[in-house]
Amino acid sequence: MDTDKLYDVIMIGAGPAALSAAIYTTREDIDTLLFERGVPGGLAAVTDWVDNYPGFPDGLSGLDLAEGLRKQAERFGAVIELGEVLSIRDEGDHKLLETTSGEVKAKAVLLAMGSDYKKIGVPGEVEYYARGVHYCATCDGAFYRDKRLVVVGGGNSAVQEAIFLTRFATHIDLLVRSDHFRASDVLVKELAKHADKITVHMNTTTDEIVAVDNKIVKVVGTDKTTGNKVDFPTDGVFIFAGLIPNTQFLKDTCILLDEIGFVLTDEHLQTRMPGVFAAGDVRSGATMQIASAAGEGATAALKLREYLEGKPHPIAN
Amino acid sequence: MPKNITIFTTNTCAYCVQVKKWLGAKGMTYEEVNLDQHPERQAEALEISGAYTVPVTVVTQQDDSKEVIVGFNLAKLAPAVAS
Repeated sequence: MDTDKLYDVIMIGAGPAALSAAIYTTREDIDTLLFERGVPGGLAAVTDWVDNYPGFPDGLSGLDLAEGLRKQAERFGAVIELGEVLSIRDEGDHKLLETTSGEVKAKAVLLAMGSDYKKIGVPGEVEYYARGVHYCATCDGAFYRDKRLVVVGGGNSAVQEAIFLTRFATHIDLLVRSDHFRASDVLVKELAKHADKITVHMNTTTDEIVAVDNKIVKVVGTDKTTGNKVDFPTDGVFIFAGLIPNTQFLKDTCILLDEIGFVLTDEHLQTRMPGVFAAGDVRSGATMQIASAAGEGATAALKLREYLEGKPHPIAN
Repeated sequence: MPKNITIFTTNTCAYCVQVKKWLGAKGMTYEEVNLDQHPERQAEALEISGAYTVPVTVVTQQDDSKEVIVGFNLAKLAPAVAS
């Protein structure tokens, strides 16, 4: 990273949205720097298996997809800086970003920080993080060979990762707060094939994670249909209960966020700060799909180009 | 320069790839213990880190002191391998 240079575009994040955008910008010789605080590929990289990304008829691992996107962007000249952006300021003809590696300037910015799995805020969750409470099955699942697990959530991630965890666990209780899955029908049908190992509990809240001698022993939930407390004996808990956007550093800017914290944009993917665009899971209204993120990244790249060419879109109020 | 570096990994862990790539870019060699291939060493990783997670990177310094870094944590990894 060159702190004296004025970059054409800085992308905050290096998930599918940013990497797709970077493929487009760098192919057109738009000088592009990406900031990633975790792993290139974002949540896609820690997803066990991706079956719905176009062009891969047999599916592929999230890690392979992330690596492919990264290599493709780097082939055209994208530079990925490992670090975190702490603030963004509009300086008129450029944006000034304060980062963990120093201050850096760009003519335009793409917000593509993605999102992380949400904490559910129950007793035991924080205390036993990484010591029985987990948010990444591909990272931590191997520690549960021949153990019992609880998985919390009813969306695609929860179902997909519960299926993945059957490689290791003897039994999984899947706790779904609602009376229906948010996961796709295809995944729910796949889940049914694992009924020997996965027991689904609909209408069941997760209330407490209980440990004895620093080891998780059970999850206490409530069956909402009866109001009765239910114990789920377990050795560990994996939580995939919704996503929270990584937008904390935008709170004191003019960039508008929705009530959850996702970035509001106009139809050109532009935020309230001129020259600052958003794409992928961080954007309000995003569909939280890897293919959608990649598509939005491509769209954002074209909008960034128009902005850099002096064809800015008016800021919507 | 550390005396040696050991990384506990699994096949599917993206953060493990990131640690290996980062160390490789710095020209550093390391021993990898893949827990999918060596599940018998899982307890060792757990004892060292106190966490049921990978990557766990153990940096042994020239004076045989050890630093343990859990996850892909550059704020801890970079100074550990620089000393």
